[in-house]
Amino acid sequence: MMALASLTAAAASHAEVTGTIDPPLSPRNASYVIDAKLDPASRTITGSEVILWRNITTKPATELQFHLYWNAWRDDRSTWLREAKLGARRPVPAVRPDERARIDVTALGVRGSARADLTTVMRFIAPDDGNTDDRTVLAARLPQPVAPGGSLTIELSWTAHVPRTFARTGVIGNYYFIAQWFPKLGVLQDGGWNCHQFHNGTEFFSDYGSYDVRMTVPTGWILGATGVEREHHDNVDRTTTHRYHQDDVHDFVWTTSPGYLERHARFEHPTLPPVDMRLLIQPEHAWQADRHFEATRAAFQYYGEWFGAYPYGHITIIDPAYQSGAGGMEYPTLFTAGTRLFALEHVGDPEDVTIHEAGHQFWYGIVGTNEFEDAWMDEGINTFSEARVMGTWAAPTHFGQRYFGGFIPYLFKDIVINREDVWNHLAGYRRAAKEDVQSTPTYRYYPASGGAITYDKTALWLNTMERWLGWPTMQRIMSTYFSRWKFKHPKPQDFFDVANEVSGRNLNGYFDQVYRSSNVFDYGIQDLRSDKDGDKYRTVAVVRRYGEAIFPIDVRVTFADGKQVVEHWEGAERWHLYTYEGTEPAVSAEADPGHVLLLDVNRTNNSRTLAPLNAAGPEAATKWSLKWMVWLQDYLLSWSMFV
Amino acid sequence: MTRATAAQAWRDGVDRVLRAPAIIVGVWLVTLLISVPLALSVRVELMNHLGTSLAAQSAAQSVNYEWMQEFADQATGLGATVRPTIIGFAAVLDNLSAIADAVPRPVVVVGVAVAYVIVWLFLAGGIIDRYARGRVTGAHGFFAACGGYFFRFLRLAIVMGVVYGFLFGLVHGWMFDELYPRITRSVDVERTAFLIRGSLYLVFALLLAAANVMFDYAKVRAVVEDRRSAVGAVVAAVHFIRRHFAAAVSVYALNVIVFGLTLAVYALLAPGAGSTGWLMWVGFAIGQLYVILRVSVKLIFWASETSLFQSRLAHAGYVAAPTPAWPDSPTAEALRAAPTR
Repeated sequence: MMALASLTAAAASHAEVTGTIDPPLSPRNASYVIDAKLDPASRTITGSEVILWRNITTKPATELQFHLYWNAWRDDRSTWLREAKLGARRPVPAVRPDERARIDVTALGVRGSARADLTTVMRFIAPDDGNTDDRTVLAARLPQPVAPGGSLTIELSWTAHVPRTFARTGVIGNYYFIAQWFPKLGVLQDGGWNCHQFHNGTEFFSDYGSYDVRMTVPTGWILGATGVEREHHDNVDRTTTHRYHQDDVHDFVWTTSPGYLERHARFEHPTLPPVDMRLLIQPEHAWQADRHFEATRAAFQYYGEWFGAYPYGHITIIDPAYQSGAGGMEYPTLFTAGTRLFALEHVGDPEDVTIHEAGHQFWYGIVGTNEFEDAWMDEGINTFSEARVMGTWAAPTHFGQRYFGGFIPYLFKDIVINREDVWNHLAGYRRAAKEDVQSTPTYRYYPASGGAITYDKTALWLNTMERWLGWPTMQRIMSTYFSRWKFKHPKPQDFFDVANEVSGRNLNGYFDQVYRSSNVFDYGIQDLRSDKDGDKYRTVAVVRRYGEAIFPIDVRVTFADGKQVVEHWEGAERWHLYTYEGTEPAVSAEADPGHVLLLDVNRTNNSRTLAPLNAAGPEAATKWSLKWMVWLQDYLLSWSMFV
Repeated sequence: MTRATAAQAWRDGVDRVLRAPAIIVGVWLVTLLISVPLALSVRVELMNHLGTSLAAQSAAQSVNYEWMQEFADQATGLGATVRPTIIGFAAVLDNLSAIADAVPRPVVVVGVAVAYVIVWLFLAGGIIDRYARGRVTGAHGFFAACGGYFFRFLRLAIVMGVVYGFLFGLVHGWMFDELYPRITRSVDVERTAFLIRGSLYLVFALLLAAANVMFDYAKVRAVVEDRRSAVGAVVAAVHFIRRHFAAAVSVYALNVIVFGLTLAVYALLAPGAGSTGWLMWVGFAIGQLYVILRVSVKLIFWASETSLFQSRLAHAGYVAAPTPAWPDSPTAEALRAAPTR
């Protein structure tokens, strides 16, 4: 098997990467041919597209629904901007009218036997919140239904104004990042169109297809895009048209700027297909090129070994311009990383964001979940995966802090970051643990805390599963899920079913706790005593469930002679008493000593010690209060300079 | 007294500070005494949170970052400031950065800082008087001078408060919350933004330094010339700085360099998280040596500026009304001690 895989990888290493994939990996039921021209002077894009769409549901389609994402930034009345204000910790910066976005469909029609001009029947709908001012979903009734299995060729023309960057989309200076930029079909499901309005806290969902896109930009500007460049030619008006192609993807993004530096490298692995890496990097970050490549290699290596192969053979890494707001985002075969002018090594940036976004090629790109409704399935699963890579490949990394307007980094040598708490973002989850039930459709999460439920909580409960079931089982769950649902649109139950099947256990109770509830986990040792009773010691240990959520845990009691007793507690009662009689007193008791339950929001109460070990508490308190005192003295002296 | 150059005045200032170690020790003790009760309060808060948890062992031996985050998440007031940034040299960066970026601190910390500044205002008269006289004044003389000048300095503090309040409240906000975002709004190269922010820091630092040197000489003149008017002392300070601009700026610059060197030395020697036991106390002792150095640097500012002023203008023609009566004024004392020409 290994030899076969090596042969396949070796063969692929000689294949020319063209963006064409044969046989198809996906249904390819929504393929786009797009022609777009960017006018930097007016910051407008004029485009036309032809969509070859096939109804792969069991129900006839009676209308079409399109995402017009850029209308989210057309005015303050859009759902996106209303939600941005709702969740904002500080006022949403005002933008000038010429910095807003818009996308206007100027023509819509269908070809073929049902040829019709639908321009006059276009209307905006707001399926999520009824906001009549929101123009991010366009609907048009078809003159005749498209039967299951039937196809339709759709033609659109549009003009769009490029905004100053919102949500990784827009322009600053001559730096353009053009995402979610064309009228894009929603996903037709048996229950109807899944075409949500654009929300502040969620991302996207669309069908797989082939994209063949021509982009015309000023001559000399560097262009990066989804897919592979097939050709380019200069035009008489000092513009250049680039044509990119990619099969089996569900989105298309591009970026252009005269300022990019271009670097190339390659990912090679004994059992995985090679990947050509193209990096478009800002000149001031040129010295960090290798760090971007190494982190991307790490992602492809570990995700490939753990979950499955990356099939496209190429990837474009974008280092976005400063203040472009385009950093840390995933698109098919292209992602944006994000670094700083001063980026210390061993702090985890830009490696962390690079691995995360490269990892999205697997959890989003290949397994195409619905980011509007189930964002945890890409962001959360990917955070879990990224944290595992960071813990495996990047360790040791240290805590870092930035000072002086965020420009000056400082590395704390004493603080080594671990995967379980830091890369899984326990602190973020703890602060938002009760804010939302994860099974709530993501676009309905409270905007300010949705990220913690989506990213952090998922990473923690998946990592808890890993520690509970063991990595070999967890790896099989993840790779089976990946293999079974690649190039499809799985729902949460599909993941749960795979987990139950592969683990051979019924994990539904666990999923009820972590997915269908906002209850928090908090187990602790409420009491520990060892009282002398004649020649013996009577030891009492009380373990308590302080939180509402339930998880089976171990309880370990350690005695003075080093003997340890490990009990297993199902954790459903509010508390449980353990008593022991023996010749030695207890030294300590610990709830969940193996730190399996990473969602426990209060680890400090998980253990208790008896004398003489409990001297550590006052010692630690003294040590940290002395350090704090020097900090305070420095603060006071800083102000004394103004006396 | 001969007319001193800036370097001579600075060296003389260092000498005056070193010849009065009791002042260094005294100010350090004040700094220590103000911070000890708060540190004890933080210690209690830490102990309560740690309880008898095993987490205390790793928190004692090194950094238990998980516990630290957990503690910070539930702490309020002073406890909320117990974060990694209190470790070693990060503490210095944290505080300088907080001043540079006007980062708000918890009310209780700001309250302590205000109290500390008032204590400095009280001590300032005695300290400058001691350096101006260049001889032992004794506890009685020192505190008599402290008390004598305190209310004048409180009045001066009103002027200082207005100026620093204007700088931090209006100028800083305008520079960093309005001007900087406006200038850099379309900047797509971080290096450019960094240079702009660095330049604004420099400009703001120069404004602070200008105010600082002005108020330093106001205090020096108030003490040396026994001035009672805070505004008059400020005006006199401006006159002095204007007429001896190069020397005044040079002395100040030398002090800023020493301040920078002090920070650099601490950056090299600052203890990390460390463990408990005697190493913990060694780390604390290094921290206190740094505090003593910082106190000394502050005192050298005043001593060298006093020296410069006395070498340039301490003669009867520049003594403010009322006419000094022997032996009250340091100026009068200096004149009496001066060699006959």
